Amino acid sequence: MKPRVLVAMSGGVDSSVAAALLREDGYDVVGVAMRLAPEPSAPASTAPVARRRGTCCSHDDFEDARRVAERMDFPFYVIDLRADFAARVVDNFVAEYLGGRTPNPCVMCNREIKFDRLWSRARALNADYVATGHYARIEQGADARFHLLRAADDSKDQSYFLFTLGQDELSRTIFPLGAMTKTEVRARARALGLATADKPESQEICFVPDGDYASFVERRSDPSQLRPGSIIDSEGKRLADHAGVHRFTVGQRRGMGIASGERLYVREIRAKSGEIVAGPREELDSSGLIANRVSLVDDSIASGGELSVEVKIRYRHRALPATMRVDSARRAEIHFAALGPAVTPGQACVFYRGEEVLGGGFIERAITAQLAT
Amino acid sequence: MPIYLDHNAGAPLRAEAAAAISQLLTKARGNPSSVHRSGQRSRRMLEAARAQVAAAVGAEARQMVFTSGGTESNNLAIFGAITATSRRRKIISSEIEHSSILAPLAELERRGFEVVRVAPDSDGRIDPTRVLAALDSDTALITLGLANSEVGTIQDLAPLASVCGATGVLFHIDAVQAVGRIPVDVAALVCDLMTLSGHKLGAPAGVGALYVRDAARIAPIAFGGPHEGGMRAGTPNLLGAVAFGAATEAAMNSMRDESDRIGSLARSLLRRLRESIPGLRLNGPLSGRLPNTLNLTFPGVLGESMLIALDLEGVEVSMGSACAAGAVEPSHVLRAMGRSIADARSSLRISLGWNNTADEIDAVAETIPAVWRRVADAEPLSEVSVR
Repeated sequence: MKPRVLVAMSGGVDSSVAAALLREDGYDVVGVAMRLAPEPSAPASTAPVARRRGTCCSHDDFEDARRVAERMDFPFYVIDLRADFAARVVDNFVAEYLGGRTPNPCVMCNREIKFDRLWSRARALNADYVATGHYARIEQGADARFHLLRAADDSKDQSYFLFTLGQDELSRTIFPLGAMTKTEVRARARALGLATADKPESQEICFVPDGDYASFVERRSDPSQLRPGSIIDSEGKRLADHAGVHRFTVGQRRGMGIASGERLYVREIRAKSGEIVAGPREELDSSGLIANRVSLVDDSIASGGELSVEVKIRYRHRALPATMRVDSARRAEIHFAALGPAVTPGQACVFYRGEEVLGGGFIERAITAQLAT
Repeated sequence: MPIYLDHNAGAPLRAEAAAAISQLLTKARGNPSSVHRSGQRSRRMLEAARAQVAAAVGAEARQMVFTSGGTESNNLAIFGAITATSRRRKIISSEIEHSSILAPLAELERRGFEVVRVAPDSDGRIDPTRVLAALDSDTALITLGLANSEVGTIQDLAPLASVCGATGVLFHIDAVQAVGRIPVDVAALVCDLMTLSGHKLGAPAGVGALYVRDAARIAPIAFGGPHEGGMRAGTPNLLGAVAFGAATEAAMNSMRDESDRIGSLARSLLRRLRESIPGLRLNGPLSGRLPNTLNLTFPGVLGESMLIALDLEGVEVSMGSACAAGAVEPSHVLRAMGRSIADARSSLRISLGWNNTADEIDAVAETIPAVWRRVADAEPLSEVSVR
């Protein structure tokens, strides 16, 4: 028997195929579905209504994962990591929004839950590896160092969300789908007779299924933590009032509540004063950024001073050519080769060199935007 | 074959029950209510099974209503009692009952009934004087478990016996975990209603019974036919009843020897686990407990991890109750006994049964400490969030 691998299964097609492929390869697969999201509490006065499926606890998705495990004949368990997820992902998500930043909880979930918390569970269960259905590749070089690479399917590449993985994490992680396209994954699922073969993609953040982040933050905060204030222009002129800085994201246009001749965008969020600075699109352009909590896939690359890289400042953005320098406090200063788009504090910025992920960090602020002429 | 130590959740089929079923599967036909001779034969078998089950608790066959299991019996007892005593609006129970008691009580509360849930002491004992103190002329029902499914504590219900008949309140005992393991007698307990379950005794799941004292009046909760003395409409589950009867008789015939043997296996396991796991804690009293049940708090680990790790090693135990998705929830019984959430999340239930052997217990006495050390090292409770 090959080594034991703990496969994180969401009930979607990707992790289903990941688990099935490992099982076909002869690994000792143990499937787990993680309960992560805090559950909305039903009011006690509601009459119980029989519901066969679809409640939080009897999640359809878990049942789909269970069916895959039965079909492929490996053990499967639902594990409860809600407390860890709340403490390590959800609280951070709320605090970031309250602080005027726009968090990326998927990055935090990977760092804190899938490749840290789940790894301790894997060792408890005598597993040697953790596997997920992420689209990214791990390769070991001739020097035995591990490299994190973009997925073969560029349209599905998820390496952006995985930049926090270092050598330790990569050495014990398997991404079975890294070399496959989504079409191939679905075809494989069908060939294996997996119930999840034609499930639609999940899009929203898993713990905010309705996509209403502002209401979620409000439900999970004390009213005194919310920062209402004014929307102002770059000269400081008050344009409107707003209900809280957590409702804004740098670069957003909608929801400003301003009837103005020109299109206004959120340029800056000042969480302390509650001010939202709005401006026309050209005021958003940036020439670089400062990132903090920088981690590198291989720390040895940081010794060389200035690096030429390509930087992705949002998942769906193209990587921008840039130079970067990391200091000893794990902060990075990044200068784009050409003027860049709006930089959103809180989002992840990920450093690439060609196919390879070198590392990344969390955006602290933009470097002074050069005003377009 | 995995080592099965989850008999409080359900026992494996006894050979006697399997034999009874297989005979019936090929030979029997006919609805017990039918006039023809096939029906009459079915009826005889059903009534013979009823007598076997009734004998286990010192009842008359006519006092036993077959149901689909413990949950239905508890629902019939509770809803049947409050429907029959329509003016009374109060029910007394405890915090440590099975969900098939607690959920009906929550539903009655939602409908406006008053529910008193007596708290246990730290060993899971319910003080009968606190039950009596809550009793008044508005009380329709007292419903209590005789032996707790999660920690094995046996309740002293004798002080409640005299009160019930006298005050007009109905007294229901959930004896699902007790029957076949300790002597249970409806006359000694002087109860009006008693729940029994088939699969805890080695019958298949899907059959149970409710004892109804002759003088006790409860209303049916399902309507449709005159079956089971009008108490439970629906064609009887003959296959289940016959297996239930056979399993009950087998369990009663061997109860004394089996309980001694299982009790000594459980004590030996506890002693060896204590030697190799410093800080291991037994939940529940030292005496006055079911011989087969060990509820243990394993220091510094999540019970969920232990449960899964043990399963992967071929040892099957349980923790609290499972939610619909199959995740485990910390035991409400341990919480009611004053244990912290962390302690409740660190606890497992090991419940032995008629088919466990000394060799199995020897093996488990090695496996559990080894798994505990690995889990405590890899995933210490101090490094995880618990709520």
